[in-house]
Amino acid sequence: MTSSALTRPGQRERLSEKLTEIDWRLALVLTVIAGLGGMILYSAAGNNWGPWADKHLIRYGLCLLIMLGLSLIGLRIWFAAAYPAYALALFLLLLVPVIGHSSLGAKRWVFGIQPSEIMKVALVLALARFYHGLTSREAAMSWKLLIPVGLIGVPVLLVAHQPDLGTAILLAVTGFGIMVLGGLSWRLMTSAVVLGGAAVAPFVMFVLKPYQRDRLLTFLHPEDDPSGLGYHITQSKIAIGSGGLMGKGFGLGSQSQLNFLPEKQTDFVFSTFGEEFGLVGCVGLLVLYGLAIAIALRIASISHSHFGRLSAAGVTITFALYVLVNAAMVMGLAPVVGVPMPLMSYGGTVMVTVMVCFGLVEAVRVHRYEEMPSGRGSLL
Amino acid sequence: MSLEPSIFFDEVNERQGVFHRRAFILGGFAGVGALTLIGRLADLQLVEGARYQLLSNSNQFNFRIRPPPRGRILDRNGIELASNRPDFRVLYRKGEAKEDAADTLAKVAELIPITEQKQKSLLKEIANAPKATPIALANDLSWDDFTRINVRTPELPGVAADMTDSRVYPFGGAFAHVIGYVARVSAEDVEREKTPDGKPDRLLLDPGFRIGKQGVEKALDQQLRGHPGGQKVEVDSVGRVVREDPAGDIHAIPGKDVVLTLDADIQNRALEVFGQDSGAAVMMDVRTGDVLCMMSAPSFDANQFVSGIPSAEYKMLSDYDHKPLINKALAGLYHPGSTFKTIVSLAALEAGVDPKRTYTCNGAFAFGNHVFHCDKHHGTLDMHGAIVTSCDVFFYQTALVVGPDKIAEVARKFGLGQIYDIGVSGQRRGIVPDTAWKKKYFAKQSAEAQRWWPGETPSMGIGQGYTDVNALQLCVMASRLANAKKALNPRLIRSIGGVEEPRGSEVEDLPFNADHIQFVRAAMASVANDAAGTAFEFAQLGLGPIKMAGKTGTAQSHNYVSGHGQHGAVGAWATRDNAWFIAFAPYDDPRYALSVLVEHGGFGASAAAPKAREIMRVALLKDPEVRARVEQPLPLPPTNPNADTGDVAPPPPSDIPGAPPQGPSGPQLQNPNTTDQPT
Repeated sequence: MTSSALTRPGQRERLSEKLTEIDWRLALVLTVIAGLGGMILYSAAGNNWGPWADKHLIRYGLCLLIMLGLSLIGLRIWFAAAYPAYALALFLLLLVPVIGHSSLGAKRWVFGIQPSEIMKVALVLALARFYHGLTSREAAMSWKLLIPVGLIGVPVLLVAHQPDLGTAILLAVTGFGIMVLGGLSWRLMTSAVVLGGAAVAPFVMFVLKPYQRDRLLTFLHPEDDPSGLGYHITQSKIAIGSGGLMGKGFGLGSQSQLNFLPEKQTDFVFSTFGEEFGLVGCVGLLVLYGLAIAIALRIASISHSHFGRLSAAGVTITFALYVLVNAAMVMGLAPVVGVPMPLMSYGGTVMVTVMVCFGLVEAVRVHRYEEMPSGRGSLL
Repeated sequence: MSLEPSIFFDEVNERQGVFHRRAFILGGFAGVGALTLIGRLADLQLVEGARYQLLSNSNQFNFRIRPPPRGRILDRNGIELASNRPDFRVLYRKGEAKEDAADTLAKVAELIPITEQKQKSLLKEIANAPKATPIALANDLSWDDFTRINVRTPELPGVAADMTDSRVYPFGGAFAHVIGYVARVSAEDVEREKTPDGKPDRLLLDPGFRIGKQGVEKALDQQLRGHPGGQKVEVDSVGRVVREDPAGDIHAIPGKDVVLTLDADIQNRALEVFGQDSGAAVMMDVRTGDVLCMMSAPSFDANQFVSGIPSAEYKMLSDYDHKPLINKALAGLYHPGSTFKTIVSLAALEAGVDPKRTYTCNGAFAFGNHVFHCDKHHGTLDMHGAIVTSCDVFFYQTALVVGPDKIAEVARKFGLGQIYDIGVSGQRRGIVPDTAWKKKYFAKQSAEAQRWWPGETPSMGIGQGYTDVNALQLCVMASRLANAKKALNPRLIRSIGGVEEPRGSEVEDLPFNADHIQFVRAAMASVANDAAGTAFEFAQLGLGPIKMAGKTGTAQSHNYVSGHGQHGAVGAWATRDNAWFIAFAPYDDPRYALSVLVEHGGFGASAAAPKAREIMRVALLKDPEVRARVEQPLPLPPTNPNADTGDVAPPPPSDIPGAPPQGPSGPQLQNPNTTDQPT
């Protein structure tokens, strides 16, 4: 865009230059999505700013500032912080079972934060850093791949133990995605997918807690359990389906207004949106999410450093997974695993996580020419 | 940390290339995922959209049930026998209240009186009731209480004051057995009337709804019930009403009115003349078969059952030896006694017995090793005389001549031993015995027991032995005798919702010689009008030329020989004879036939005939044509001075009640209306 590879020394370090390098189209798309989120939360509260819409928009404003601030941080600093951040996140995750605060039957909180959220970014950074120092041959198939498997596996197991199945799946798939992008050989990739698929059945039967198993299996036949777990899915499908082509209109969604739709402001906010804006609104919203993902992937691909590429792409995978899993969940295509719709669902933690992710993406764009150390053979 | 730039360009380029290719593939995956989602959206919102819209609407809207007004039950002249009155009540809808029911109830109790005990039982009821079922906190509120609670309902979650219909029986007991009553819906009722998908009918769960439990109310419950309406309301997920939508209300379809053939005046008079006595009276119009009166005494107040009769009172009713809860007109079986002699005579005439043949009565008749008694020494009698004086000895012997099978055949033709389709249940068939019946009835016993013994025939000749009838059957018998032509059937339900039911006169003719029936009718006229007649003292109508014909019956309730039974009106009430009187009037142009049973009343003549007379008088005086004959109008005074001031003297007043009948014994068979009768 405005800047080229040919710049005067130090020019790229200037704040004004950095600000122009920020991808404002991405910021705009994210803001539009968050604005729609605020709008639907206003409607879900019976056309009231409180208790959700106002906080949602204020939070987004703050998170946008965080994103912009993070985008100014040089990639080398991100690079240097990768392993310490991972170590910190892992430490906090280990603390959770010990001094964690439980909520709704699951221990997820420690010191007022969810370590699993930090881990979402930290895992991406750590993997990106690790692959940055790996040759393509090593990345394809070598004993060194046991290190990323460990980097992914340990937090995934810890998070699944909390239990927070949604986040665990998110971490696992994101990590695997980075391994693929890093150059995992097709043979290993295929066997991993096959092994993973084969492990699902015994995992579901023996490792999962009963409520998780019920949740997983109910989505297949929600009508069998109309007042329990199936109620969520059934009412969500009714909400979306009754929206029709054009929707019932802003503020007129009876399913959400009359509380038939559970968690209408959090995990099922997409259903609320679908009821009021119909197929047209839903496709439009998915196009906006797709646009954000496409821009982020484009940013990843123009980065000059492997670390930049993988870290930006990694967080984009996380973001895309949020959207896909949540949308599939509320439409009855996937189990109810408690994954919110990023930027739409009411809730601060995920908003911060997602905007930190996009801060990283923007930082990769702003610092796409930055020379990176090889990082080979050293953990720091 | 080394800051040297990476110089493995080949390596770097290869990694970059792999990344680009794979990022492209990943992007493709995301695209496929997005397309899947859009496909699913199209499936939900377009293909299945209409279905989900329906589901959403059924979530959003609910119908509060509006019970339909129950159809009225009217007498033949349109007088309400069962109707509805407004009932102001307070309902509690559990599903619409979040707050503690006890608090709400306590607040309600401050506004209207609800006793502590009642509050406790209400709380129990609320706790047990399904969420969708409203509970009535109070019924029959005064207007003051109603308005007081109505203005406060916004502060009382789940409480609503409304007006509903409550069943009322204006005549209390007079029609209780025929009409029956409505009462609270029982668990069995709900179970029986479940909708095809196994859900309870919501109408039945409404606290104001009552279901027919007896008589016409039960038999025609569906027609009387109507179809409920609905008040459309928008509800949230916990069922609380958010908004009412009057435009979407469905109006209730009221139940159909049922018109009975009964006449309220006759029925009321019947109950009145019974006083403390137990028994039944049935009257039919002998031209149409319409039942004008079907009364069972003593009766009970059907209104008590609507709100729920206290168990102590119910126990009193069911324990009373006069059995007020039983409809004796249909379910009470008694020996017909001497009223059955009409049938025996007819059977004899049909069998070719000469009516002039005489028997001599000296008070007893020995047959085999048994002596059959008569209550008098009647001397030598022909058939006419035997009916008039009700001589048993004559009929013992006549019955032996005719035989049980012939008698039974005639009895059945005249309607005994039958159950009629009158629209209400509860009839008992009774017994018209003959040889075939006995064989069948004692099928499990020895051949000896199955055989008809000749010694059983004399008893049958006087309406005793096995013979059992109810009051309706005897009234049908009297009607067919009075009609003389048609085998009339009784009709109780005149119309349902304006659609007339088939008449009881649309039937075949009786297969009997008209002269034979006429002979019996003439004898019945003498019973009531000849000085020698058993009912002469008791059956004078006092309506001038209008005379009644009848037959008395005094039937054993228990066998005298065993020591349990008491002849006549002596001894313990429950051991006395049952008194019958069947009648029709006017005897020269029959219009009304009647059977009266006085349970343990003693003699048919003294106990039953006077009641029959009073009931019959009401029917006759209500009949304008009969009344015209009775009243014999005075000639009008001249209104036109120019007109001929005629000198026709006013006729003497109509004859004095109780005066001896004029003319020869036996009925005047020509219709007196055809001639202008000066007296």
